[in-house]
Amino acid sequence: MGTIAWAGRKIGGALVVLWLVATAIFIAIRMIPGDPAEAIMGGPGSQASAEALAAARAEYALDQPVLAQYLLYQGKLISLDFGTSYSLKQPVTQVMGEVLPNTLWLSLMALAAAWLMALCFAAAATRSNRFGSALGNLLEIIAAAVPHFWLGAVLIMLFSSALGWLPAVDNGTAQGLVLPILTLALPLAGFLTQLMRDSLSEAMGSQFALAARARGESRLKLFWRHGLRHAALPVLGLTGWAFSSLLSGAVVVEAIFARPGLGRSLLSAVLARDIPMVTGIALFSALVYIMVMALAEGLERIINPAGDQR
Amino acid sequence: MAKVGVVIPLALRGKLLPMQRNSRSSRLLAGAFALPLIGALLAGCSSTGSSDSTAQSKEPVTGGTMVYASGDAEPSCLDPHVGGNYPQALVASQYLESLFTKDANGEIIPWLAESTKVSKDGLTRTIKLRDGITFTDGTKLTAEAIKANIKHLKDPNTASSTGYLAVGKVVSVDAKDDLTAVLKLSAPDNALLESLSMPWTAIESPKALERDQATNCASPVGTGPFKVASWEHQKAVNLVRNEDYVLPVDNAERASSTAYLDGITWRFIPEAATRYAALQSGEVDVIDNAQPDTISSAADSGLGHLDAPRPGSSNRIELNSSKAPFNDVKVREAFIRAVDANTGVTSLFFGTAKRSNSLLSSVEPLAYSDESLFTTDTAKANQLLDEAGWSERDAQGYRVKDGKRLSLRFPVSTNQSVPAEQSLFEQFQAQAKAVGFEVKIDLLDLSSWYGALAKHEYNLVSAPYTKVGPSVLRVLYHSDSTVPAPSGYFANNAQVKNEKLDKLLNEAEETNDEAQRASLYEQAQKIVLEGYYVLPLYDQQNHFLYGKNVHSVGTTTAVSSPIYFDTFLDQ
Repeated sequence: MGTIAWAGRKIGGALVVLWLVATAIFIAIRMIPGDPAEAIMGGPGSQASAEALAAARAEYALDQPVLAQYLLYQGKLISLDFGTSYSLKQPVTQVMGEVLPNTLWLSLMALAAAWLMALCFAAAATRSNRFGSALGNLLEIIAAAVPHFWLGAVLIMLFSSALGWLPAVDNGTAQGLVLPILTLALPLAGFLTQLMRDSLSEAMGSQFALAARARGESRLKLFWRHGLRHAALPVLGLTGWAFSSLLSGAVVVEAIFARPGLGRSLLSAVLARDIPMVTGIALFSALVYIMVMALAEGLERIINPAGDQR
Repeated sequence: MAKVGVVIPLALRGKLLPMQRNSRSSRLLAGAFALPLIGALLAGCSSTGSSDSTAQSKEPVTGGTMVYASGDAEPSCLDPHVGGNYPQALVASQYLESLFTKDANGEIIPWLAESTKVSKDGLTRTIKLRDGITFTDGTKLTAEAIKANIKHLKDPNTASSTGYLAVGKVVSVDAKDDLTAVLKLSAPDNALLESLSMPWTAIESPKALERDQATNCASPVGTGPFKVASWEHQKAVNLVRNEDYVLPVDNAERASSTAYLDGITWRFIPEAATRYAALQSGEVDVIDNAQPDTISSAADSGLGHLDAPRPGSSNRIELNSSKAPFNDVKVREAFIRAVDANTGVTSLFFGTAKRSNSLLSSVEPLAYSDESLFTTDTAKANQLLDEAGWSERDAQGYRVKDGKRLSLRFPVSTNQSVPAEQSLFEQFQAQAKAVGFEVKIDLLDLSSWYGALAKHEYNLVSAPYTKVGPSVLRVLYHSDSTVPAPSGYFANNAQVKNEKLDKLLNEAEETNDEAQRASLYEQAQKIVLEGYYVLPLYDQQNHFLYGKNVHSVGTTTAVSSPIYFDTFLDQ
């Protein structure tokens, strides 16, 4: 299949998925108990007057029939209008735009850190003995299983409270990024190492590796030329998943380390029943997921053109 | 029956300051104030943790930016007129001021106002303003400003909730002259000055209020010792010193009338453990919502502690008397006698919270307390339940009547109940089980919790209410408050409907006689306490911890939110 056709199919698929997500969100939100007008008028427990609630309903078209609301909502989405946040009274796109770079930067750094760690661990594993290998395996499983909030708390206790090496909260410096990145990256690294190690061991022990060694190629060169490519493939395929797991991890990590970001916006929006904000962030996350998946697939096509038989 | 209007005289100037001092800062006053005043100030002091009484008193130094870390959710609007909750009050107390405030004895004194009087019929309230006060946008404080602020609170588009209710009886405001505002009331309201002492009715620049709401929310303009420089959402509200600040009440202690701090970085750190770690490492200087375990360990680390219980109601469990089984007073008393709050409060709060036996906060001078009603007595609890007809038990040991189990729903807001309180409720659950109650605790987020209350899906609930003055009793126990607001919200969770009580609460709010007011409120409190509608626990906890480098923390507003006007940092 040609690249243009492939891209066209991806974009078409993406649009259908986005429409489905938007519709699902619309239905899900209508099923949450509670009056959205109340969320507009100062959140739960508001003592707003009946007139104030009626005015809010009219302003946000909540007094229209559900189908009309749905069509209005779809129409706005087509023109990329995510509406106005109930609690912040600002356009959703503006609020998201302010905090998005923080979350993207954190997630990308964590992804890079996880890749790097996984590669190092996996490379080390190819050389280790049975005991080392078993120990590594155990550590990977533990790392992959720990929840972010626990890991974050432990890292703060260790590196901020006890040792005083790193700040516990975001302070705008590079040091402030270390603990949040570690908290996000470690579980992912544990998972990726498991994947990489198998393919790396397989590659390093394969016939062509043996042949190369026999030709006098160094182990390091062999690792860079052949091993890495083999190890990267399964990991790339999972990058879309990995990135989305980082985005959801960001909800927890941003709260623990008091960092501004999309995750924190989502958390407060859910608690305040801020429907436009929740919708905006959910749709955006879906879009990012689709884009990263497509990107990863594209990279796979470049690294391994022979695999393109679909 | 009305007497001559109450006038608060100018003589109070320089004598009384609206303060709660902790032990560290109170020493600073020693040189400046006469001893009787120290006594008065210490009366309002309730510091427990700080143990630095041997430390040397320090000469204040100007400069430095203090970092404050709040555990509350970031407000969506920095103007406390909009909505109106405690996190807004905490930050707004730095840049907005009110017409009145409270002194250390809990008495209301004028602040931006200079004096006030009320007509004989109680329907006309005249407020004289101080001269020479200017908002940080250069607008002068005049009677027109009062008019604009009341209008702003009453405008449905403002979506004010707390402030709107506080000025509910104000029908109109006229500017008699530049500095005299005349408020017309729909009914006599002796709680009005208390209402006007709260940050939710603080006075903002009328010029600034004309801007659109989003702009005013991002940068409200007041007369306070600091002003809002910028607001980086989710990161910090940056406050800077108001260089033109005029302290409304003379203070001999202060040579300079501007704050010592260059500014305050107001951060939001939702995680309690992170907040405390950041304080320990010196990344932040002050934290709020300090938890009991950290308060007890803070003293060992040399950190300062300010305990500033909120005014209004105490933290208490309300028993829904509108439906079975709590429509029977015997069952209500049985529950209250079955649980052991004293032991639980002492152990789970590490001695940081004092047991209350009152409907009102201990900072309310008119709080009435009766310990004997709340002593634990399981034998009596069992006897009362037998008498009420809940004499059989099912296989699990719960009492049953007519085939129905003695079961109680207890929705708990994870937003309002700290972990220590949740543990206390679990202890109650176990203690109540021993006498045959089944207590079903539901941990809920705030919206779901309000939803459960609106649908009457509760037998027990803890819902503290912050308001200055005993008129909070009317909000919480008058039968009018069982009628839900359009949102479904109602404040009378115990569902007390008692004509005699209603009458007492109405009269208490309208009388001009202070002694009569106190007596009426005492009778009202007795009715609620003796009806076993409520199990009081402790004051609404409001603890702050601060670093060794921070000095003179302790001045608070009428709602116990600290002000950092006197505060300074080691340089």
